[in-house]
Amino acid sequence: MSFEFLSTSEAAPARSPMEREARAAGAVFERRDGWNVAVRFEDPQAERERCRAAVGFADLSQLGKIELQGELAAFAGGGALELGTALRSDGAWWCPYTRERALVLCEAASTAGLRERLEEAAESSPGLASVIDLSSSLGALAIAGPGARETFARFTAIDLRPQVTPVGGFRPGSVARSAGAILREGEERYLMLFGAALGRYMWTVVADAAAALGGGPVGVDALDPVGQAAVHA
Amino acid sequence: MSRLPEREGERIDRSRTLSFSFDGNEVSAYEGDTIGSALFAAGQRTFSRSFKYHRRRGLMCCAGQCPNCLVQVDDAPGVRACTEPVREGMKVVHMNASPSLELDLMSATDVVGGPFTPPGFYYKTFIRPRRLWPLYEKVLRSAAGLGRLRKSQPEREWRTEYRRRHADVLVVGGGAAGLSAAAAAAELGADVVLADEGPEPGGRLLAEGGRERARELTERARLAGVELLENAPALGAFDGLVPVWQGDTLHQVRAARIVYATGAIEQPLLFPGNDLPGVMLSGGALRLVELYAVKPGTRAVVAAVCDRGLDAALALLDAGVEIACVADLRPGGASGPAKLLLRRNVALMRGATVLEARGRGGLQGVVLGRPDAADGEGERAIGCDLLVVSGGSAPATSLLSQSGARTGYDTERGQFALTHVPSGAFAAGEVAGAGELASAELSGAVAGAEAAHALGFGDELSHTRAEEGRRTLARDHGRPAQAAVPPPVTSRRKGKCFACLCEDVTAKDIHLSVKEGYDSIELSKRYTTTTMGPCQGRMCQLPAVRLMAQETGTTLAEVGTTTARPPWHAVPMGVLAGRPFEPAKRSSIHGRHRELGANVLWAGDWRRAYDYGDPRGEALAVHEAAGLIDVSTLGKLIVRGPDAGELLDRLYPNRFSNLKVGRVRYGVIASDAGRITDDGTICRLDDDSFYVTTTSSGAGAIYEWFTWWLADWGLDVHITDVTQGLSAVNLAGPRAREIISTLTPLDCSAEGFTYLDGKRAEVAGVPCLILRIGFVGEVGYEIHCASAHGEHLWDALLDAGAGHGLRPFGLEPQRLLRLQKMHILIGQDTDSESNPFGAAMPWIVKLDKEQDFIGRWALERYAEEPPETSLVGFRMANGHVPTEGAVVMPVDGSPMGQVTSARHSPQLGGVIGMAWVPAALAKDGQRVTISDEGKKLQAEVVTTPFYDPDGEVLRS
Repeated sequence: MSFEFLSTSEAAPARSPMEREARAAGAVFERRDGWNVAVRFEDPQAERERCRAAVGFADLSQLGKIELQGELAAFAGGGALELGTALRSDGAWWCPYTRERALVLCEAASTAGLRERLEEAAESSPGLASVIDLSSSLGALAIAGPGARETFARFTAIDLRPQVTPVGGFRPGSVARSAGAILREGEERYLMLFGAALGRYMWTVVADAAAALGGGPVGVDALDPVGQAAVHA
Repeated sequence: MSRLPEREGERIDRSRTLSFSFDGNEVSAYEGDTIGSALFAAGQRTFSRSFKYHRRRGLMCCAGQCPNCLVQVDDAPGVRACTEPVREGMKVVHMNASPSLELDLMSATDVVGGPFTPPGFYYKTFIRPRRLWPLYEKVLRSAAGLGRLRKSQPEREWRTEYRRRHADVLVVGGGAAGLSAAAAAAELGADVVLADEGPEPGGRLLAEGGRERARELTERARLAGVELLENAPALGAFDGLVPVWQGDTLHQVRAARIVYATGAIEQPLLFPGNDLPGVMLSGGALRLVELYAVKPGTRAVVAAVCDRGLDAALALLDAGVEIACVADLRPGGASGPAKLLLRRNVALMRGATVLEARGRGGLQGVVLGRPDAADGEGERAIGCDLLVVSGGSAPATSLLSQSGARTGYDTERGQFALTHVPSGAFAAGEVAGAGELASAELSGAVAGAEAAHALGFGDELSHTRAEEGRRTLARDHGRPAQAAVPPPVTSRRKGKCFACLCEDVTAKDIHLSVKEGYDSIELSKRYTTTTMGPCQGRMCQLPAVRLMAQETGTTLAEVGTTTARPPWHAVPMGVLAGRPFEPAKRSSIHGRHRELGANVLWAGDWRRAYDYGDPRGEALAVHEAAGLIDVSTLGKLIVRGPDAGELLDRLYPNRFSNLKVGRVRYGVIASDAGRITDDGTICRLDDDSFYVTTTSSGAGAIYEWFTWWLADWGLDVHITDVTQGLSAVNLAGPRAREIISTLTPLDCSAEGFTYLDGKRAEVAGVPCLILRIGFVGEVGYEIHCASAHGEHLWDALLDAGAGHGLRPFGLEPQRLLRLQKMHILIGQDTDSESNPFGAAMPWIVKLDKEQDFIGRWALERYAEEPPETSLVGFRMANGHVPTEGAVVMPVDGSPMGQVTSARHSPQLGGVIGMAWVPAALAKDGQRVTISDEGKKLQAEVVTTPFYDPDGEVLRS
């Protein structure tokens, strides 16, 4: 394929745009699926409690993020996508930006395989269909806990009330005065996407907002698996 | 002490005492006290000095409506003592008085300065001689203003949190109507927020006999799920967004429907001495008694135009205040409260009002009488230390007006009332003319239900009830008002009679403004500054309109009101500033640059390494060994599809459809007018795919430009912006080839990887796209990889180059190196008028191209007519580095161009630069003069690159 230089390789560590901020906050890292992942900051039990009682945020930039354009974007994940709603299928979130553009979010381990399957599908598509790996283009932060929505309220005007953004709701828009998107993965869990170059800035914004609400960073191990969080979708 | 025995429902907690200081003296307070109530209880009667005349001012409204009690609290000026809760240890000081609140030297202006300080006096008195204006200005600025701000404070010591809150219904105002509206809407299923100015919801009910009902309604609203924001004034209405300030939080409430239950503002009366400490509004006196158990005076006179004042008289009587007399402006009849007062042997003067208040340092007595009587006729002078005034009310329509509502003068009620409420907004309670408790509640319930109904909540029954309620309200609204309309000024006695307490504007000032031609309310407002002070017209709008009508011989309806503007409530500037957001982009290698000692500066919206402390050395390293620069900030687009070549042919003046796979070509983007807007390189990845780079600052705009035209042309192409997904570094220098060869299996020989090749290969184990291009003039490899590997690639290259003299270089050395090659920087060497012909790039415009393209028409015109100015290089005759923007002219001629770039080049041993010059001068060896900050400097024009003019180094 023409675009392999867009993708990460197992041969070298892939780093999140927020790795330095997480490290400064005391993160312990593990190499998982080629990425340096902040797995915990303190006692994992305390981090889970933080997510249960207040708000915790975790760097999930290692997630696979594959952009689809063309017919694939309209009919992906085994069904037709509706604007505003992400579809959970095949272990991935299929998030429509427009009727001809969607983003697929998957675990880092399944990124390469899923991308290849999609590229095959694109080649057999009757019309033009594009598959581009944007895993490195976008940073991702999961924000979880009862204070998650209040945390977002500190830096975005996107309406995340349950009646407007139910579980599975996907809201592209302005986040902390930058282009971004928010996916509601569970009752009290959201995934925020933003330009990778804004990683440090976004970490600062979220940490600042969460701290005021008794929250803080947590490792990825403190989060429920995405599939579990998305059961309600 | 004037603290009353414990009262049921009082807001203070007598079991918890606090202490704070006022002007250095310790003051005792109870938990729940405001600064105002605690100070008043401690015997303080003067709270501030007025803006212009430095007159004593005391508590008046006790509701944060008037300007009389502004104090400075812990370095924060302009705090209203009457609503600010006491905190242990707080330091409160007076404002606008020197040397002390009791002895204020500037109060001399009240005695002798009146004739010299009419409206606009600073335009009249202090204009001659003109040379003294700087002195006047200094004196005036020193005398003006209230309070003092610290000149600096530690960063982020205090800040406001912005909180975005979406809601189905926002209710502004927490009185009976607001609470009923919120509860009604929430009970129908709506998501409701209620914002109330007071520390607890209830509004007038709390101090005027409805405390229990207020608490019942509050509880009902809470149970229905209403989010109650207390101590939270709404600041304005901005197309559906209502900012609500609550302590250190600014709620940005976006509601689908808004119910305004903002109530009405009790109005003062205008009479000489109407600002003396001891003159209070009835609501203010009652709040002191009922909420804080403070006796507002020992002997009181009440002047009222409606039952509200009479009710206050009864309540004060119950609190142990002697009521010397009640003057009711209504001429006849006996309302319920009047009968009760008579039964309690209180003297009642009908058809009378207060004609003058007297006293030094505070109220000592009043004169009552009929406003229309001859001088002295039927007047009665009474000694007292409290004058309770109730001059009617003005509906608080300001926020509604900002939402698009209109008002008109209601002759019968003597107030400006709503005549139109825009869709999406609802009015309830006193602001909508429903002032009595029962009708206020009903009005709120109806408005709340209607707001919810508009959003699809409710059922048939709720609709029916709302319709019934609306009919009942319409019937009640038709009843005649039980209030007298006071005259603009109650008497013609001597003495200052203040229309605007904030700005010290007297009735005489309004008279003068009309006399001087400012005969509309808007002009008078600007001239006298009435309604522009901290009260935002609450106390002075209606009196000013009445005075204006009287002075101009028109009706109040004809005078109208001033435009309502935010903020409705005084607010510190810091609240509006909010939390600091500074979306800075950083490359994935940014942390490494910091560790290497980079000086980091802004470059567009990116933070970039400007240099690593030695820009000259860094530039020389690129010539002598190798340099490595982070160019991740370049815009990067993937353009793919069967029509991708055609799309690029249409967007660029040169051709790309004939670009071979694996080759790179330079491109300039031109606007419709043929002007240069951006540039970059394009690499063909395969038959249908191109990799396009743009300038760092142009990335976003060029992506939009491409997608905009693509949408218009409907070509079969997809575009993806991968700017932030790819790191890019430029390895350049005579040893670059050796260095990169140690990290990649690719044949990097001059023959195997020629200039303008684009190849994909692993470098340091990660997949990369490598472009053989040379912006800095040496053999160069621009290496692109996933940004998650950017730091790894950078480290690997620096390690590999350690033995080859490789150094990182920043933006500044890059600018010098590219200048040596005369490679232009868009925006630096070009402006909005520059076209490729003038910029010495006629070769890039392919007018023989069969494909039409953006800017073709204009470029054809430019091609036919030689450019008037040309971009050239120049070499300075001496070592002076001219300022960018310095003027270029022919020797001894007039200005005809300007310098765009200039640097000293250690490699070339002199100062070089680029400049726009008249085309006639664009020839090698032409001497020109550069005029730079008064110096005339000689330079020589150069039309080919200063370094490696034939490109042999670059291609080697």
